[in-house]
This record gives sequence, structure tokens and C-alpha cells, in this order.
Amino acid sequence: MTVPLSDYEKIVGPTAITQLRRLGKKLGGIRVVHVNSTREGGGVAEILEWMIPLMREVGLDASWEVIQGTEEFFEVTKNIHNGLQGRPVDLSHKGWKIFQEVNEKNMEKLRPTLKDAEIVVVHDPQPAFLLPLCDKRKGKWIWRGHIDISRPFRPVWKVLRTTLEKYDASIFSMCEFAQALPHIQFLVPPSIDPLSPKNRDLEPSELETVRARFGVDPDRPLLVQISRFDRFKDPVGVIQAYRMVRKVLPVQLVLAGGSATDDPEGNAVLEDVMEAAGEDPDIHVLNLPPSEHLTINALQRLADIILQKSTREGFGLTVTEGMWKGKPVIGGDTGGIRLQVVNHHTGFLVNTPEGAAHRIRYLLHHRERIREIGAVAREFVRENFLLSRHLREYLTLILAIRRGVDGRSFEV
Amino acid sequence: MTPFKVKDCALLVRMSGLPPAINLRELRERLAACSENALFHHFCEPLLRPAFDHPDYRNDFAVWAKWYLGDRVLAERLGILDPFSMGSLEEVRAVTLDILDERLSEVVAIPSAAPGDEFYFLEATTIVFDTEDRIASARELAPAIRKMTNGSVYYHFLEARRRTQAGKDDFSAWLKAEERKNAKYIRALDSIDFYFHSLSNLKEEIIAALEKVERKR
Repeated sequence: MTVPLSDYEKIVGPTAITQLRRLGKKLGGIRVVHVNSTREGGGVAEILEWMIPLMREVGLDASWEVIQGTEEFFEVTKNIHNGLQGRPVDLSHKGWKIFQEVNEKNMEKLRPTLKDAEIVVVHDPQPAFLLPLCDKRKGKWIWRGHIDISRPFRPVWKVLRTTLEKYDASIFSMCEFAQALPHIQFLVPPSIDPLSPKNRDLEPSELETVRARFGVDPDRPLLVQISRFDRFKDPVGVIQAYRMVRKVLPVQLVLAGGSATDDPEGNAVLEDVMEAAGEDPDIHVLNLPPSEHLTINALQRLADIILQKSTREGFGLTVTEGMWKGKPVIGGDTGGIRLQVVNHHTGFLVNTPEGAAHRIRYLLHHRERIREIGAVAREFVRENFLLSRHLREYLTLILAIRRGVDGRSFEV
Repeated sequence: MTPFKVKDCALLVRMSGLPPAINLRELRERLAACSENALFHHFCEPLLRPAFDHPDYRNDFAVWAKWYLGDRVLAERLGILDPFSMGSLEEVRAVTLDILDERLSEVVAIPSAAPGDEFYFLEATTIVFDTEDRIASARELAPAIRKMTNGSVYYHFLEARRRTQAGKDDFSAWLKAEERKNAKYIRALDSIDFYFHSLSNLKEEIIAALEKVERKR
């Protein structure tokens, strides 16, 4: 469902929207192609879902291409992903060969689109090898790294770097994620769409439907962590924190995760989580399909506290979503969560299940703080992490790349 | 008087290319070598970045000294620096280096941040837009500022001091075209201790100062 830009005026103000239209006019008709590896599931697909239509609405000729891969390919890319986030992985020569071959196969199909595009934005490592395969390319190619590659497993990074170096620019969510590369590196935090099914306001009846569907008790506090079943999200650590709180307070826990087509490890992690949850009727482990945006939205709104106890995190859009719903977030002290969760202001940063349990108990004993922190969190997101700011930065970035980034300011 | 052109701006932030600093000595070395653009960014532009507004200090160096080096003495000394009161960015650099050198001579062990908490030197390009809004007279200024974005307030009231030769904000420069008639407004704007406000607070301060002049008319 495409929401027109004018609908965002009531949330971010008319000036911000006019600014976007004016910027779009400056770029009139420019051909921009985004490439990633999944149409649904995960933060990147969600961003592209709104970004492409809005880029088109402001006048760009924007499109979104998804590379097709085999199961083997996605196993390799999951290893690359884990390696980039610092986990030692065993990636054989054969694995890199599969990676190369799938990129080659996709290039055959995408060549006409990519060759003539004025700007190509390649998201994350999966399609990264397309660039050297696209000879006679006309436009500027930008690599957009969404994950934390601050301390990568060196053997993986060394191979990938030889290709990333060839891009004209790269974009990272935070300076801490960037690696030294011989081109300009922009910093653009991601954002959420406040009018998407995952974030729009819901009617009380919609909340009640979801509450009843999962048997959540309305009279007891609810903790919610929404994220893929991924070890870096530490779902088992969340269960440990819940059990520590459960000894003294009658809390309930929802661990709800979607799965993405490019994440083959999800099922194994889900099994571990089910085992850790055991027969506890107050732990609801929900494996939701990617289309259940309204359900996720409702669960976040039903929560008293949102958890995101990651040990490694790119940006953590589920944190942004929780904050936008006016909830305090207890998040892992890592990655983009640090940019969003500020102790005592928008939530709490924690490093252990014990730390999470301590903060949960604090908030549940100071209910007024839940409301106060939630209100600050929502305004913080409105100012900084909604799609209007994100789109503006992409448009200015494209302008800057086309005119050359030098000097401290320029007027458009 | 020529109508005032309301502009807005956005930051496009990038890595400076300098390696991050993990301790006070490295901060000193990098600060001595960084570009003026980086210096300007860390002293003057944090307000425009998508980040939580820590009310304690207005520049990134002071915030880092407090939160990551755990050196509150250094944070206080850096935190009071007002780059807009200095003649040039090189003067800002010299004063800052002096503070860092003084602190290095005082401490027994070099304050150091934990891995992952390094200081990253950034630079930014300011992209300026004409909003096509115009202000015709001094009396219209306060209501017009109320409608402005934080980016506009930053551009006209703070960034202007670096951009223009007179080192004044754009509103005062515009009002000066009819200096005698607008003297009270110019004085009101001049009386604002602007550097230590968040942009939202600064906006309120400017409006309050201008409205006070209106009430006394």
C-alpha cells in the first residue's frame, strides 16, 4: 500500500514535506536503482518498501531489484553476514565461488537496468559483487552497509573489501560501523514509516483482537521483544531476564520473530528458544510470517516495556518502532541501539540478562516513569528517525555525489 | 526593506578519514591534524545531527570526555568553550589544544575509553534550501520564527555567524537595513546567550525576546 507524501504532513509538518518535493525537483527524473536480496522480512526490505514510491513521488525514476539466490547462496551470505558482525566463520573457497556465481547469474538479468542507471544503491553484502561484473556502467554506485562491521572477522572482510573499494561511495548507519575505504563514507541512520501497517495508530478493538488471539492477560505486565530469531538478538538471554523478574512479579513475555528468505539460520535459533521457553504458559514464542505487520504493531502497543537485548545490532529498527509507540526500551548496549536508547531518558542500555531484569523491575515499580520515558522516546523518534529525514538525506546525498562533495555548504 | 528570505538546511555527515581516538593523547593528536570542517562539525553542528540532545555540553569533545573518558574536569573545561565568540576556527583549535595539553600535564594516567567507545572525527556538508517563505517586517519576525524548522533557526541564527563577515545572525543583519527603526529588535536578539541552548530552546528564546519588544511598543 502506497501512502502519498502529503499524508505525512500531519506528523512531520508541511515544511519538511515541501523540502522533499523541492529537492526531488532538483534531481528531476534521475534514474536510481536499489538492489538487495529480499523483498520481505528484515529492516532493509521495509525501508525500500516506502522509499521507492516516495522517491518516485518527488520526481525520481526509482526502482527496486531483488537478486535471486539458491539455498546454498543464502547459507554463504549468512556466514558472510555473521563474519562481518565479528563471528569467526568457516567460509571456504567453494563458498565464495557460489557467492560469485549467483551474483554473475543475477547480473545477466539486471545488466540493462543497472548499466544505464545514474545511481545504483547496493544494500548489504549479498549483491555486492554485482559492481565489478557491470562493465560500461554509466552511473555512480553506492554500497549501503546496514550491519555493524566495526570489528569484522578479518578473512571475510579482506575478501569483501577488495570489491567494496571499487564503489564510488558507501553509507553506514553510524560512524562506529564504518571501515576505512578509499572513497567517501556517508553516515545516514535508517528510519521507520509512521503510517505503515507496522507503525500506524491502531483502534482499541484491533489491540484486543491480537491480545485475545495469543491469550495475553490484560491484567498483568507484558514484556515484548520483536526480532528475527537470530543469535545476535539474544532471545535466550531475554528468557533468562524474564525468569529473574518472574520470581517476584507476574510478568508475561512475548518473543515474536519474523523470518526472512535470506536467513537460513532462523529455524535453528527458534528451536533453541522453544527449548529455553519450555512449558511456561506465560512465554509466548511466535514465529510470524513477514506479512503480520499489524500483529507486530499491536504487540508493541500492548507491551508495557519493549526489549531488544541484542549483543550485536545494526541499527535496531524494532527499537525505533517501540519508541514511536511511546514505550521505554531496554536494549543491548551495542550498535545503533546506543544511538536511540539513552539511559533514563528513552530507556535503558544493558549488557546482561541480570541488567535487563534489574531495569524491568525498576520500571514496573515506577509506572509513572514508563509513561514519561515513553513520551520522550516518541518525540525523539519524531525529530530524528522518521522516513522524512531519511529520504531527505538520500536526496541530498545524491545531489552531493553528482556535484562532488567538497566545501562546507552548498545551496539548492 | 527587502523581504527576508527564509532558508532551511540539512546536514550530510561523513567520515573525516582520520583514525578514531581511543585516549586523551590520541584526541590531542587528531584534533591538531583535523580539518577546520571537522572542527566546525564537532563544535557547532551536533545540534543538527540525529542524536539525543545531551543537555550538559554543546560540543562533542566535552560530551566524549565526560561519558567515555570519564574525565569530568576536562569535560567542564571543554564544555564552556564557545566557538562563536572566537575569531576563527584556528583560534578554536589553539584554545582546545591548550586545554588538552594542560590536562595531559595534570593526569597521572592517560584517560582512555573502552574499545567501541572511540571518538570518531566527522565532517559535514550543509545543504541549504530556500523555503520560499518571506518576512516583510520586524513585527512579522516572531510569528515567522515560530513556524520555522530547527534547521532554519540553526542556519539563520548560528551558522550565519561563521558564514558572514560581520559574524552576526541573519535576522540582525536584515533588521540593520533600517537600523534606527529596528534598534530594539536588534538589541533583543543580541542579548541572547545562544550557544548553550538546544535548537528548540533557542527558538523559544528568540521568540520571547522579540515578543517582549512588541509588548513594550
